[in-house]
Amino acid sequence: MVLVLAIGDLHIPHRAPDLPPKFKSMLVPGKIQHIICTGNLCIKEVHDYLKSLCPSLHVTRGEYDEDARYPETKTLTIGQFKLGLCHGHQVVPWGDLDSLAMLQRQLDVDILVSGHTHQFKAYKHEAGVVINPGSATGAYSSITYDVNPSFVLMDIDGLRVVVYVYELIDGEVKVDKIDFKKTATATTHSAN
Amino acid sequence: MLRGKLKLPEKARRAFPDRLGSIVAGFNEKDEENRGLNHGFELGEELETFQPNGFGLDRELDDYKVEDEKSDGELGFRAPQKPDRDGADSVSFSDVFAADEKRSDLEYEFSQKEINLEKLQRVASSGLPDGGGLRATAWKVIISSSFAHLQLLLGYLPASRDLWEKELIENQSKYAKLKEELLLSPSQFSKREDEPLRSNKQYAGSDADGQLARHDVSTDDHPLCLGQASVWHQYFQFTEILEQIDRDLLRTHPDMKFFSSNSSLSRKNREAMRNILLLFAKLNPVIRYVQGMNEVLAPLYYVFSTDADEKNAANAEADSFACFVRLLSDSVDHFCEQLDNSSVGIHSTLSRLLGLLKANDEELWRHLELTNKVNPQFYAFRWITLLLTQEFDLHSILRIWDCLLSNPFGVQEMLLRVCCAMLLCVKTNLLSGDFVDNLKLLQHYPKINIEHLLQVAQDISPDTSSFCLSP
Repeated sequence: MVLVLAIGDLHIPHRAPDLPPKFKSMLVPGKIQHIICTGNLCIKEVHDYLKSLCPSLHVTRGEYDEDARYPETKTLTIGQFKLGLCHGHQVVPWGDLDSLAMLQRQLDVDILVSGHTHQFKAYKHEAGVVINPGSATGAYSSITYDVNPSFVLMDIDGLRVVVYVYELIDGEVKVDKIDFKKTATATTHSAN
Repeated sequence: MLRGKLKLPEKARRAFPDRLGSIVAGFNEKDEENRGLNHGFELGEELETFQPNGFGLDRELDDYKVEDEKSDGELGFRAPQKPDRDGADSVSFSDVFAADEKRSDLEYEFSQKEINLEKLQRVASSGLPDGGGLRATAWKVIISSSFAHLQLLLGYLPASRDLWEKELIENQSKYAKLKEELLLSPSQFSKREDEPLRSNKQYAGSDADGQLARHDVSTDDHPLCLGQASVWHQYFQFTEILEQIDRDLLRTHPDMKFFSSNSSLSRKNREAMRNILLLFAKLNPVIRYVQGMNEVLAPLYYVFSTDADEKNAANAEADSFACFVRLLSDSVDHFCEQLDNSSVGIHSTLSRLLGLLKANDEELWRHLELTNKVNPQFYAFRWITLLLTQEFDLHSILRIWDCLLSNPFGVQEMLLRVCCAMLLCVKTNLLSGDFVDNLKLLQHYPKINIEHLLQVAQDISPDTSSFCLSP
């Protein structure tokens, strides 16, 4: 039972001052085993804060990140799943499913986590699953001003992943749950 | 001597030192019986038992003590190897006879329909034999009955043998159910809850690509939920305790492979003990887990899982849990900080210990209390709360616990007597030392002859000066 936090596009301090207080009260150290961050933190203080929540922190470079040393993409294996991480501004058209699927096949991962659009999305296609955690602060994106703060927590347990989506809508935290299983063999595509 | 006339077999001749060669009537058969017994016996153990009777076997005693230490790690596995050990042969015939008698006594007792608890306790007070399942069974019966003062049925293994099988199975299923309820990880829990859901709607359409279906769980459970009723929240509350338990388990008896090696067997043992301790912590939110509970659990679990009966050994976890709970229920008040100064707390017990000492040896009491001001809290706290598991090696602990359990008035009563005996046995050293020396001696209690210690303990007269006689 591994808890992985997928978060990104905070744009602190340029577009937002901080995480919403309701989110901050929920994110306490000791519960989460990994944090994967799509990018655009943007400053070191945010990096340190995330590091305090969990020592295992993985970040990819967003176009506004002040630290130029983050990689463009990252892959990691957690449990039975291969996760891929990329900010998403490199994939054009932004947020396009087919292009993201291409990236996913390139990285050869089961779950691709990418951001940039500031909209939560969870898509399934034949090569795997694409998850966009949205923006944790609700900062405006290059596309729209209408953004709800959101982040994603994945519970990886064997071949099954439960995705909990935390969204702040009208000042209230809404939690949604998405369940999917990885097929035991990579080639066959079937529901379990 | 008679030896030549009887034409003893070669092995037997070696076995018996000359000075005891006269007691050989019917010896041959005894020898066969011994070799035939599949339990074998711990010779070092039996020698210790008879030391006070002065058979003059000190010489051999030392040898066996050394061997004991060496083979401590394989205590549970010694039984089948016994007949092969060379050094094992030279023991006195009377020891063999007495040990054998004790073993057959116990077996006879267990085969009866109704077990005579007093007799069992009497045998236990002179030491239960290692090997075979005798000690394990005896402990189970005693621990259960001594806590059945309210109702006979409260006991774990009732005195009536017929009910044993039923009781054991019932308890094991109760334990399994408890484990399932309390020890499940939250994701397994949620997986179980989703089973019915899954079959109807979710996977019907998920073959298709596209947006994944979302289910609102804002009011239900999720990992970051801070509500008290949340399974996740409760799970995280115990992670700290779990870490503490894990750390302590690694430190339990580091010299014994049974507990502390990296083999899969040893890991299985640690995992079982961890489940027991965690379950206890969850069921007792007041005291939760206190450092040292692992030490109290260790001898119990060890004895039950090295039971020669395969079926019993496989259920060691459930049995140890039940007995652990019963054993601790007596001394649970000692662990609760709020009760420290009350009449059931640790301080009152310590003053009872001092009262006992005063009633038995005023000189020593005066020396400790008044001259050197060695507060019993400094040394006896650990003795009492951990039932002496930290003061001696495992083999001695098993012997001492045999004695503790044998007292019909309860473990605590006997424990105080043994503690008092421990003080009396090092009296000369204590009297000749100052505060620092005394403290150093008592906190690192020296190795002494356990039988002698227990003999002194049993001879101690109870303290009748205070009003509160032990229950």
